[in-house]
Amino acid sequence: MNTRPDVVISVKHLTGGYGEREILHDINFEVRRGEVLVIVGSSGCGTSTLLKHLIGLLPPRVGEVWIEGENLLATEGEVRTRLQRHFGVVFQSGALFGSLTVSENVALPLGEFTNLPDAARHYVALSLLEVVGLGGSAHRMPAELSGGMQKRAAIARAMVMDPHILFLDEPSAGLDPVTSAGLDALILDLSRYFGITFVIVTHELLSINAIADRVVMLDQQTRSIIAEGTPAELRRQTGNPAITRFFNRKPDPGQTIQTR
Amino acid sequence: MGWILFPARELYTRKPMVETIQASAEADAHILEDGRVRVRLRGNLDIHTVGSLWRELEEQLRPRQTFALDVDATGLDVRGGGGLALLRYLRAGGFTPHAAVTVRGLPPKLDEILQVYEDHGLNAGSANVPRPPSIPQEIGSSVRALAGEVREEVGFVGIMAGELAAALFHPERLRWAEVKRLCIAAGVNALPIVSLLSLLVGLIIGFEGSKPLAQFGAQIFIADMIGFAAVRELGPMMTAILLAGRSGAAFAAEIGTMKIDEELSALSTMGLDPMRFLALQRVAAGLLLTPLLTVYTMVAGVLGGTLVLLSLGFSLPVIYHEMAIRVHLSDIGIGLGKSVVFGLIFSAVGCLRGFQTGQGPIAVGVSATRAVVSSIFLIILADTVFAGAAFILGK
Repeated sequence: MNTRPDVVISVKHLTGGYGEREILHDINFEVRRGEVLVIVGSSGCGTSTLLKHLIGLLPPRVGEVWIEGENLLATEGEVRTRLQRHFGVVFQSGALFGSLTVSENVALPLGEFTNLPDAARHYVALSLLEVVGLGGSAHRMPAELSGGMQKRAAIARAMVMDPHILFLDEPSAGLDPVTSAGLDALILDLSRYFGITFVIVTHELLSINAIADRVVMLDQQTRSIIAEGTPAELRRQTGNPAITRFFNRKPDPGQTIQTR
Repeated sequence: MGWILFPARELYTRKPMVETIQASAEADAHILEDGRVRVRLRGNLDIHTVGSLWRELEEQLRPRQTFALDVDATGLDVRGGGGLALLRYLRAGGFTPHAAVTVRGLPPKLDEILQVYEDHGLNAGSANVPRPPSIPQEIGSSVRALAGEVREEVGFVGIMAGELAAALFHPERLRWAEVKRLCIAAGVNALPIVSLLSLLVGLIIGFEGSKPLAQFGAQIFIADMIGFAAVRELGPMMTAILLAGRSGAAFAAEIGTMKIDEELSALSTMGLDPMRFLALQRVAAGLLLTPLLTVYTMVAGVLGGTLVLLSLGFSLPVIYHEMAIRVHLSDIGIGLGKSVVFGLIFSAVGCLRGFQTGQGPIAVGVSATRAVVSSIFLIILADTVFAGAAFILGK
């Protein structure tokens, strides 16, 4: 069980990966209610894999993921569905359903899990789409939207069930700086006003500095967490070159082509 | 339209999270004189409670002629986007279209969010709902689209035929390793299903024909029927339809997926013509393997019919003699000629549909389906032309 009431996610001794390949080893951290936690690390170090473990898509080899006092992996059937309704997920690609319009995508969970009348479902979906700046595209098909617009529609869909927790995988990837800043502001506003907890995988330093209450940094070599703290605390850490390179956007010396 | 940003962060205080679904929201409506209505909202308004409140307000407010609606939301705790949408709907006069609406008692920050919503215009999205076309319009555009498609397909088949003819003089234009791979995938691997179906169809025709022919003591004519049908019609047609369903759809799906993954664009930017690089090999493979498979189908069909005749007591020399009288070399030639054209059709149409693949995850499935439907349609159309020509020429 969670030890403190303000802890909404608790990851305990999680070791996981794909098949025989171990990507994460003995991961431990907690996420507090209403905070914005950002998971960072170099490409291929397992940030997206960790997110899959957290949302229950990929069972870890060892360890536990507790969400709102429930052991996610031990739940099944109705309990699992109810727990899953407490969180929304925005996948890297947006993962909108290609055969539904944008507003139908957003309204889909409302039809399944609420007793809202048809017109009200459409209205709620439209309202959320306007929040993410897509009111004018509600009746278009996902294939007609740009990558950034698809991602914003996916955020609206993830928000529609008033989730307690939102998991976002690379929300800023492929977005222009203005849209990206808009997304950051929205995340902060939702977190501050509705108390939504955010767990975000991103590599955008500007976003990390703007929105993160706390950062968890994964390391490819040790396959575990090498640093945890506020962005300012991590920037101040000079002892570990991997952290310094990440936060100062410096290349790994072994990966650069020496031109001199 | 840009993002709608909620009010400045300083206004917020962290609120404890909503526990679960148990919370509820209620509305008390007080009807005053002169069409004025006062509504008091209270409770916790989240996506799970908003539906009941929405219906309640709909029932209480919609049937009345209301000129002024005064909403007291002092006791309301709004906990998400669903609640915001309901308040917005109330303020926009959604339940009371002719009434002036005032909403009191909202926390200032929530009031500010709603204001931002309204500034962006509620109906920005609804205004863009496309009007459905009328039935005559739909029929007209469908016929026009169909005619356009047939024209495109026939044109593409022609282009491919021209390209292949040119490749005869420049064999180095074809990537023969790829042609071989495609022949194996589309032809050799299709042998079991083609042979089984042809054999079974031969058996079916034999059995079905034996009873009526027996009434005239003419069961030996099953040999004529099977021989003629298998060589002139069933062989080429069945092979082509099977290949259209199996390999034509695969061509469309392969090229369609490559288009979605921008592999076709990559080919173009490298200076390689996707049509020559991808389609030509597939059409060449289709053209080579269809006649070969057709011969196989003919043999399997005849074998099926022969088995029926043997079971009826006819000897092999008799069956052979009867078939030899009826089926001429020219019939086999016509059957093989058809199979060449059919092979060209299914492979070219499969490629064309692949190139025409749209965007999104359903596009590849649509292309594969269209490839099969269009190929079968064109194959039967071409067969009709062959049959008409044979009739006129007396062949």
